[in-house]
Amino acid sequence: MSDMILFFIVQTGFVILAAPLVNGIIKKIKALTQKRTGAPLLQMYYDLFKLFKKTSVVSDVSSWIFRVTPYIVLATAVAAALIVPVTTLIKPVWNSGDVILLVYILALGRFFMMLAALDTGSTFGGMGASREAMISALIEPSIMVSLLTIGLIAKSTSVFEMMTFMQTVHNPLIHPVYLMIFFALVIIIMAETARIPVDDPSTHLELTMVHEAMLLEYSGRSLALMELGAAIKQLVFITLLVNLFLPHDQLLGISGITAIGISLLIYLGKVVATAVLIAIVEVSTVKLRLFSIPNLAALSFILSFIGFLQFFVFGG
Amino acid sequence: MTNYLDALSVLLLVSAFILMGNKRTGSYIKTFQFQSALVALLTGIIGINSFAEEGRVDVLIIGAIVVGIKVLFIPYLLKKTYAKVAYRVEKDFFLNIPLLIIICCFIVVFCYYVLSETAGINTGIINNQMVNSVSLILIGLFFMISRKKAIGQIVGFLVIENGIFVTALFAIQGMPFIVDIGILMDILVAVIIMGMMVFRIDEKFGSINVDKIKDLRG
Repeated sequence: MSDMILFFIVQTGFVILAAPLVNGIIKKIKALTQKRTGAPLLQMYYDLFKLFKKTSVVSDVSSWIFRVTPYIVLATAVAAALIVPVTTLIKPVWNSGDVILLVYILALGRFFMMLAALDTGSTFGGMGASREAMISALIEPSIMVSLLTIGLIAKSTSVFEMMTFMQTVHNPLIHPVYLMIFFALVIIIMAETARIPVDDPSTHLELTMVHEAMLLEYSGRSLALMELGAAIKQLVFITLLVNLFLPHDQLLGISGITAIGISLLIYLGKVVATAVLIAIVEVSTVKLRLFSIPNLAALSFILSFIGFLQFFVFGG
Repeated sequence: MTNYLDALSVLLLVSAFILMGNKRTGSYIKTFQFQSALVALLTGIIGINSFAEEGRVDVLIIGAIVVGIKVLFIPYLLKKTYAKVAYRVEKDFFLNIPLLIIICCFIVVFCYYVLSETAGINTGIINNQMVNSVSLILIGLFFMISRKKAIGQIVGFLVIENGIFVTALFAIQGMPFIVDIGILMDILVAVIIMGMMVFRIDEKFGSINVDKIKDLRG
């Protein structure tokens, strides 16, 4: 029972508190490469705090979907965070969901986000929603194939079981199967978290935007909920990447509360390193044309498929 | 050791896929340079291993020559050639890129099928490396026939050569020294001549698109 409470506190509290920091780090590094000082690291916390105090303006012509969507987006993001454990040292008491639930619970939040964007009838909203639908449809096969390949090797679709299995693999990043899946997942993260080769997160009111176009009608508390939801989703994907491919819990060799603390610190270090890498990719590449995104999605799908093929022929 | 070689062969295959997904001639050349750097790294690892075990230095020398020719000189030559003829952006491929990448995936599956017929698919770790390097040869060939411009076809030719070189390294730790040197000199001369041919084609037809060479000129 105490394990369960600890799991809840660590998963929800830790993920919600750490999620805006990732955005802060990425923005800071982008600013530094452009020789600007940039906003402070904790800027997104200040923004969210301020937005939560403001009232939200809702269009007269919008329906209940517009009002209920921010809560659904945040709820699905937190539910997804409960599926992906930040450390494997705390064992979830119940069987905490598998990869299929993870993918489709995030798809549920995205579905409502698209509905809400269409709901107000603004042109930008409809444009953003249709583009988001296209990107998510393109990237879904590759995310399913890559995660289920790891599931096949680990003989379980539960994310916790998969992460525990990866602890026993010696150095996954030089293993041919996992290397392919790793590249596929990196492309998936770029597409799913609206990062630069696919979508530009820092533009407003431009014809190229995808994710921001859907949030355009929101203000005040609703906007804060939507942005927090997007940040949590991003951290969930980063957690999936670092805990599957850079496992560290086995190396500690101890257990108990101190081990959990050390494990969380190492986890934070890995997340910060990933954020730095994402920022470097963002400053060194350009945003693709919308019609070039299928190329990236095809690349990601085929890499994960060849990883699956290698597992099928040679074994894990 | 075999783990690292496995990882390198997978990286080579990934670089071939990235090459297939590129749209611009400038990025073909960059990706080719990256791939050649991987080949040089692989040659270096195998060279150090063969030096430590048998006292041979020839693979190390070949590695140094690969760095000089394929990583530095040929990309420089191609960039220079391209800078002189790149005054017009044209569509460069016959099919769209997702389809090309999926056909490449079929090529890899075909390689698995073909190599499973040869002896030893179930015995050792070498098979993974063999499959990836043979796929590299065939993907290079497919790259060559999928692009319209002469520079793309030169890059495809160089990828085939990379694939053959890597296959020899994985299978028998490198060909005899004189054969390797001969092949490297051959591709150097071939690239220089093809670069000149690109100039000539451009001068004569006003484009480096090889489709237009079929047009009648009177």
